[in-house]
Amino acid sequence: MRTTLFRAAAVAAAVTLLAACGDGGSETPPASQEPTTAETTEAAGGATGSLTIWVDENRKPAVQAAVDIYNETNPDVTVELVQKNFEDIRADFLAQVPTGKGPDITIGAHDWLGALIADGVVEPLDLGEKVDEFETVATQAFTYDGQMYGLPYALETVAVVRNTALVDSTPDTWDDMIAMGKEAGTKYPFVINTNGTTGDAYTYYGLQTSFGAPVFVQNDDGSYTTDIGMGGDEGFAFADFLAENGMKGEGNFSTDWTYDVANEEFGKGNAPYTIAGPWAIQTYKDAGIDVAVDPIPSAGGETAAPFVGVQGFYLSSQSQNKLVANDFLVNYVATPDVIKALYDADPRLPAMTSVADEVAADPIVAGFLAASKNGAPMPSIPEMGDVWEYWNAAEASIISGSSSAKDAWTKMLADLDAKLG
Amino acid sequence: MSTEQSTTAVATGDGAPPPTRQRVRESHARGWSGHGAGFLAKLAIMALVNALGVLALWSAYLNGSWVIFGVLLALLVVADWVYFSKRPVPLKYLLPGLAFLVVFQLFTIGYTGYVALTNYGTGHNGSQQQAVDALLSQNEKKVPDSATYPLTIVEQDGELGFAIVEDGTAMVGTADDPLSEAGDATITDGRVTGVPGWEVVPKNDVLSDPALADEVLALRVPISDDAADGSIRTGDATIGSVYRSVLEYDGSAGTLTNTDTGVVYHATDEGQFVADDGTALPVGWRVFVGFENFTKAFTDDTYSGPLLRITVWTFVFAFFSVFVSFFVGLLLALVYNDPRVRGRKVLRTLFILPYAFPAFLSALLWKGMLSANPDYGIVNKLFFFGARIEWLDDPTLAKVSLILVNLWLSYPYWFLVCTGALQSLPDDVQEAARIDGAGVWRKFRSITMPLLLVSTAPLLIASFAFNFNNFTLIYMLTGGGPRFTDTSATLGHTDILISMVYQISGVAGGRADYGLAAALSIVIFVIIGVISALMFRRTRQLEEVS
Amino acid sequence: MVTTHQSPVMASNAAVRARGRRRRWFLEVSWKYVLALVVIVYAAFPLVYVLSASLATSGTLTGSTELFRSVSTANYEALDSTKFWTWAGNSIVIGLITAFGSVLMGAAAAYAFSRYRFAGRRGGLTGLLIIQMFPQMLAFVAIFLLLLSLGEVVPALGLNSKTALVCVYLGGALGTNTFLMYGFFNSVPRELDEAAKIDGATHAQIYWTIILRLVTPILAVVGLLSFISTFGEFILARVILTSEDNWTLAVGMYGWVSDQLQANWGLFAAGAVIAALPILALFLFLQKYIVSGLTAGSVKG
Repeated sequence: MRTTLFRAAAVAAAVTLLAACGDGGSETPPASQEPTTAETTEAAGGATGSLTIWVDENRKPAVQAAVDIYNETNPDVTVELVQKNFEDIRADFLAQVPTGKGPDITIGAHDWLGALIADGVVEPLDLGEKVDEFETVATQAFTYDGQMYGLPYALETVAVVRNTALVDSTPDTWDDMIAMGKEAGTKYPFVINTNGTTGDAYTYYGLQTSFGAPVFVQNDDGSYTTDIGMGGDEGFAFADFLAENGMKGEGNFSTDWTYDVANEEFGKGNAPYTIAGPWAIQTYKDAGIDVAVDPIPSAGGETAAPFVGVQGFYLSSQSQNKLVANDFLVNYVATPDVIKALYDADPRLPAMTSVADEVAADPIVAGFLAASKNGAPMPSIPEMGDVWEYWNAAEASIISGSSSAKDAWTKMLADLDAKLG
Repeated sequence: MSTEQSTTAVATGDGAPPPTRQRVRESHARGWSGHGAGFLAKLAIMALVNALGVLALWSAYLNGSWVIFGVLLALLVVADWVYFSKRPVPLKYLLPGLAFLVVFQLFTIGYTGYVALTNYGTGHNGSQQQAVDALLSQNEKKVPDSATYPLTIVEQDGELGFAIVEDGTAMVGTADDPLSEAGDATITDGRVTGVPGWEVVPKNDVLSDPALADEVLALRVPISDDAADGSIRTGDATIGSVYRSVLEYDGSAGTLTNTDTGVVYHATDEGQFVADDGTALPVGWRVFVGFENFTKAFTDDTYSGPLLRITVWTFVFAFFSVFVSFFVGLLLALVYNDPRVRGRKVLRTLFILPYAFPAFLSALLWKGMLSANPDYGIVNKLFFFGARIEWLDDPTLAKVSLILVNLWLSYPYWFLVCTGALQSLPDDVQEAARIDGAGVWRKFRSITMPLLLVSTAPLLIASFAFNFNNFTLIYMLTGGGPRFTDTSATLGHTDILISMVYQISGVAGGRADYGLAAALSIVIFVIIGVISALMFRRTRQLEEVS
Repeated sequence: MVTTHQSPVMASNAAVRARGRRRRWFLEVSWKYVLALVVIVYAAFPLVYVLSASLATSGTLTGSTELFRSVSTANYEALDSTKFWTWAGNSIVIGLITAFGSVLMGAAAAYAFSRYRFAGRRGGLTGLLIIQMFPQMLAFVAIFLLLLSLGEVVPALGLNSKTALVCVYLGGALGTNTFLMYGFFNSVPRELDEAAKIDGATHAQIYWTIILRLVTPILAVVGLLSFISTFGEFILARVILTSEDNWTLAVGMYGWVSDQLQANWGLFAAGAVIAALPILALFLFLQKYIVSGLTAGSVKG
């Protein structure tokens, strides 16, 4: 029965062709496509079908590169890349998959995983033994309750970026770094994105963990519980640190700094150090300065562990082409060539170890890779979404000095307690 | 292409036109001689509408989309009745707009009403079947430390099987026959390429045939006689791993059973599988919850504290936004309606400049310009001598900033509307409207203004309602901040009701509750609708002046 | 129909001009130039800021307080490597069709409300406006579902169709537009209709040949407002238009800056400056209709 498949396809194609002729040329494009499809299937030996993939603008060339490689061996799979704003993808994916009309595959961040699973819109993915070719932090990030749900392809994290013309190294402790920054004689010893008065706990997280106050308590295997880990003396020590360095203290942190402002100051050479992610490097290069990347110094005595975000591909649970989609992800995307192509088109840190080693020849990439080794994946539990607002606001009010470190932090803990129950 | 064909077929064939011609002759008997052209135009348009309508009806019928079929049929019948009967003259003018309104606007409202009665949101996102499927697939897990095997799809008498290679030995099995050694299998590159008695199905055949692909995806080949040991499955037709499913679905009882612990999860009315001890499985589904969301909207006390403040500010914001920008727009329209001012054309064009900038980003632009630190905020640097004025961080100033930015965004609208409306006033009134001397002010107040208000008052109300729900501006300029410090709700001094809904229903991030958001939207709609209706009653008096 | 009107004769304006004496001019007119200057600074300053950003080499819009620190056309040239011009074309086509449809539907509805007395007239008029006040928080799900089902029946009205987007926009065409025109229609004296009726004209002839010509200013205003709001709308557009080739300017340009980490403000600013041009051009073109003073003349004559 299965062996007659080709014959069946050929007959189907012929019927379509006849039908097309009889119809007086309606549906011309598919009709002209069909026969060649059947022939080349046999000749080139590729799969047929179609895949829809959601990508954002930045990653579109990267994924296009992967698709081109895929189409070399599977010329008859039509892969449609639908470009969407990254911020829309999550909500649209959640809304559209249950209707059966969503994409087969979407690009996404690992911290969506909790919500995607609770809504049952994402399909488990079996990488087989290839799983060992990836960085553990990446595969862990896409694992939930012992099951892997997506293909990680890149990591991103923040690290200290230093202006090499102003300083030649980054010390291991915060105080030494600020001291060196002051010696450089620039307008500021250090700038950091605080996202204005909104606060940006993400960028500050490395400093926070150096006090031993993670956002959620972690299990031994690195997974997160839903218990807030920011209470206790460690959390309050960090809050005091924010106040000491805030606008009413040393002035090393400021709520005047948004992402653009921080980049502008650093790019103009007004500060020798900043904390930023790989996405900002191009901005600095455009501004004409040379930078180096180092791990975040410790402010509280422990190792600074910034969040590591993992980018990857999710497979829709309602996809009509799961096998093709799986094949595309496991056998084509999860190969060094494609991961490298993805890196070339969009320089995030490759999640595949061999590729990461290869690109680590670039000192900047190596710097971020080193920083990511210290990091911890951002929690993907749905509760994380409820934390940001309170957390950001508490940090911003401490930095601006509008409330005392103790009050703001205590209130944040109480609010989170009430919110998460 | 086929569309065009059928269109002509219906239009020229035995479709709608004949009855058309008859009826028209009755109602427009005079029409034939005097207004042939207009009548023919109508006939042509209606023929086209009918043709497209019948075509769409046919398509809806084939698709079995009965709701669309019904709505379409109703619209088509009404359209034919309206345009070929003599009586409903007003409807002839109203129908086109109403048809679009019914289909595209009322649907959104209806849908929101429907969602308000459900528990749609994170964890309740799809149907029960989808939830069951998702739970089953989430709970079918790889057996820890099990290997991955190169896998080949094989077939025997129409039954599919998997052939794998384990430690150099080929194994074959089907859904009913657990894996067993296949003696004479050919292994090339560590992969089975031939088994006597079996036919190898090339991977590409599987990938090219959706029905076959589904079969392969659904196939589980037990690794031993004991089902509890697990079974081989594949996701991509090239590798297989050992999986064990711990959940079992009983469709008739509607229960999921954990085969390891024996715990039974029952489907509840809340759209969740719950065990007797109260533990629930993570994926739920959408169910009707009646008016629960509305009850929640009125009784949840997390936001009852700031509710009053936010409601008051919502009214203040909406009122001042409209009042200030209307006033400025009207003033400019009056002042530059003066022919003695040269270059009015250029001036007017410059006045509407803010309107030409993509509106959704104006707020972001202003946010940057109003930065408190004069090093970054150009407004403080250029116009306030480098003073540090916290435009967006001080509760009062943030409110003022919002209204000033909204003025920038919307005075061009009022300038346009008023300039247009002034043209409808008789000449003598227009001259009075040119504020050019004593006594004119009175004339303006008692003649021009009331006349202008007749045409603009409804727009003022509409604009009030728009600003009442002006989520984009608030969200992009202040994000609701500065935050209240005396409450635990994540709300701030510039939050309005709609941005509050966005926050508390979790649509902003975290666990979304669309059901609650929909219910609150409806509550807000009722509030604003009642207020507007009352204001309209007042404007009726205005109209009677004219 | 907008194009068929005679050039205005402003007899009264000429009289005013003749009366104008130098001193009076100084008192009554000169301050208007001063005021205009203030308004223009307020209106244009943020846009000068955008213009400066579009000419700058660094990619930020905010954070800089120096205007025109560097001037380069690089951002404008970079637009060519994007789909900017395709989007611009889409925006203009969608905007013009929507504006045209809105004017037709709104004017027809306003005529009905203004000239006929029928059951539910008052309620209907108020209802139109109130319906538009509904908070569209779930529109992104609702519209998607609607077009999903419609698309199965009529592919042209499915997702990713510009026609469907125009239809959704036209769904909101009554509301404020009707009101805006209703007030204006009321100001056209009924005597005109009645005279025409006595001459044997049908209601359709009165509407198309007499009324519409007299209300040109408001038709132009509604057309312009509708074009502008369509041109800047992106919430519905980004739900409906899924393929990049179908995007409008608002959707495409929003994508450039929606992610603050990857935002390309320079490109966006250059695009925004160019995108403002069609709106200004349309306004310049429509201005003579908006401020024609035609009504007054016709009514008198």
